[in-house]
Amino acid sequence: MKTLFSLYHRGYGLSLLGLLMLAIFLFPIYWMVLTALRPSTEIFAYPPHFLPNVVDLGPIKQVLSDPKVPRYFINSAIVGLGCTVLSLLLATPAAYALAHLPLRGKSLLMLISLSSLMFPAIMIATPLFVIFSRMGLSDSYFGLIVANTTLALPFAIMVLRPFFLAIPKQLTEAAKIDGCTTWGAFWRVILPLSVTGLLTTAIFTFLIGWGDLLFAITLVNSDEVRPITAGIYANMGNNTIRWNAVMAISTVAMLPPLVLFLITQRYVVRGLTVGAVKE
Amino acid sequence: MVDKTSDVRAIDKKREPRKRIAHLDYLFVAPAALFLLLFMVYPVLFNISLSLRDVTAATLLDTSQNTFVGLSNYAKVFQNPAFATTVINTLVFTFFSLVFQLGLGMALAIFYTRSFPGARYMRGLYLVAWTIPIVVSGSVFRWLLEGDAGVINYLLRTLGLIHQSIFWISNPNTALVSVIFVNIWLGLPFNLTLLIAALQGLPQEVYEAASIDGASGWQKYRFVTLPMLRPALLSIVVLGLIYTFKVFDLVFIVTGGGPLNASDVVSTLAYKMVFRDFLFGQGAAILNLLFVVLFVLSLFYIRTTQREEV
Repeated sequence: MKTLFSLYHRGYGLSLLGLLMLAIFLFPIYWMVLTALRPSTEIFAYPPHFLPNVVDLGPIKQVLSDPKVPRYFINSAIVGLGCTVLSLLLATPAAYALAHLPLRGKSLLMLISLSSLMFPAIMIATPLFVIFSRMGLSDSYFGLIVANTTLALPFAIMVLRPFFLAIPKQLTEAAKIDGCTTWGAFWRVILPLSVTGLLTTAIFTFLIGWGDLLFAITLVNSDEVRPITAGIYANMGNNTIRWNAVMAISTVAMLPPLVLFLITQRYVVRGLTVGAVKE
Repeated sequence: MVDKTSDVRAIDKKREPRKRIAHLDYLFVAPAALFLLLFMVYPVLFNISLSLRDVTAATLLDTSQNTFVGLSNYAKVFQNPAFATTVINTLVFTFFSLVFQLGLGMALAIFYTRSFPGARYMRGLYLVAWTIPIVVSGSVFRWLLEGDAGVINYLLRTLGLIHQSIFWISNPNTALVSVIFVNIWLGLPFNLTLLIAALQGLPQEVYEAASIDGASGWQKYRFVTLPMLRPALLSIVVLGLIYTFKVFDLVFIVTGGGPLNASDVVSTLAYKMVFRDFLFGQGAAILNLLFVVLFVLSLFYIRTTQREEV
């Protein structure tokens, strides 16, 4: 208590208050990890124990010993990375053209991209289910990656475009005078200058692919392809939910996005305010 | 591809380089445009067609077998009492989510834009809640809201606010309140981040001028901050409207729309119709109605942001 007072008097009062509010806000995540590390007897303790008095790796080990869970995890990684790669491949040249090249119909493409940001995923779930069934793509990584890219692509264009706009158009012109094609200018001059933008977009598109639930439950029906989000949902289906097991698999599913965010926080905050959106 | 481009350029360099290159420049947008056309625009048209037909699980994959039924799917949707419930639920859900996300977001934004040690780092950490999959946060909140051993009931009882455990999720009177509560938590970081950016974008000189004129803290907020923030606020509100209106994962994982339709929103009702009851035509009709609303909101959003940029 004494140290708290001295901190307060040294002008850290606001910091303490800020930290307290942040702690309250993030409590659910703390509670999830704590529950994942607890034996079943400890979970239903009343009053609940707010501090980690018993740490038990049992639930986590149990969840990971089910061979389906590592499979789900790998599937999510494949879908997340696939969605990132496909979105970047399609969005980067498009965003560059929208920012720098004098094309007709630019505003139409902008309009489509912007308004498809607002699309509910569920709207395209049925049509994609039908299209993929006909093409033999249902229950495949490719189908899931394509489905998630429909959501991630407009978003990627919107996040990338401002980054290209920040690069002077004269650079393209200068490269062309030096004998580059437009493509060459884009590839050799503009892209190396847009690494931050590409990285930001990659983070966002990965988060979209990793976090998707709807496509994971509508376009997949085998464990070989099922992402971890759908795995969590399946675990919640039972009437008697084993909370430490559910929290354990949730913790596992949270780790990649969390670690990614903590490493790249600066880019996320910037990208969010420039492009302004995730679902 | 690259070689061809340079050949064409070499030949035409002297005559009209601009026009030639411009045509090839369309190749930059073509893949993305084709992709969106195929997987975004076509599904929208497909849904419209689906909503005008009598489609069953047996005929879903073969569109030629589906008989045209006009607007009768829409008529059935409007006659379905569950639809009215979900529309009201969606409006209530959206209204309260936005009010609290903006109110709390604004309060926190004002707090965290003050300069104190760690402010920048702390406000960034709120976004942790935004990065993790909604399924994950949804299941955590189901656990927190649990009737017997949930922490929320424990806190409310300790504070003396309730005397009996509330089964938040299985009680039809509290299910919608529960999903709204979770959604406020979920949307707060996004609103906070945009509001902080908006606040930091305001010119500081105006505040200095207001201070010289003797304005108090509240007066500065009321007569300087708010009016200057209006354009940014408007776009944040519309964006929030769109994202809240189309919510799916959260409701689906926390309550599944239940009990019965007590916490169903439009998207979860459509999901149940299509993927549980195989009422493809009616499900598509609901989604098209939702689409119209979202489309109008998007156009409005685009207009507001463009005005802002000008």
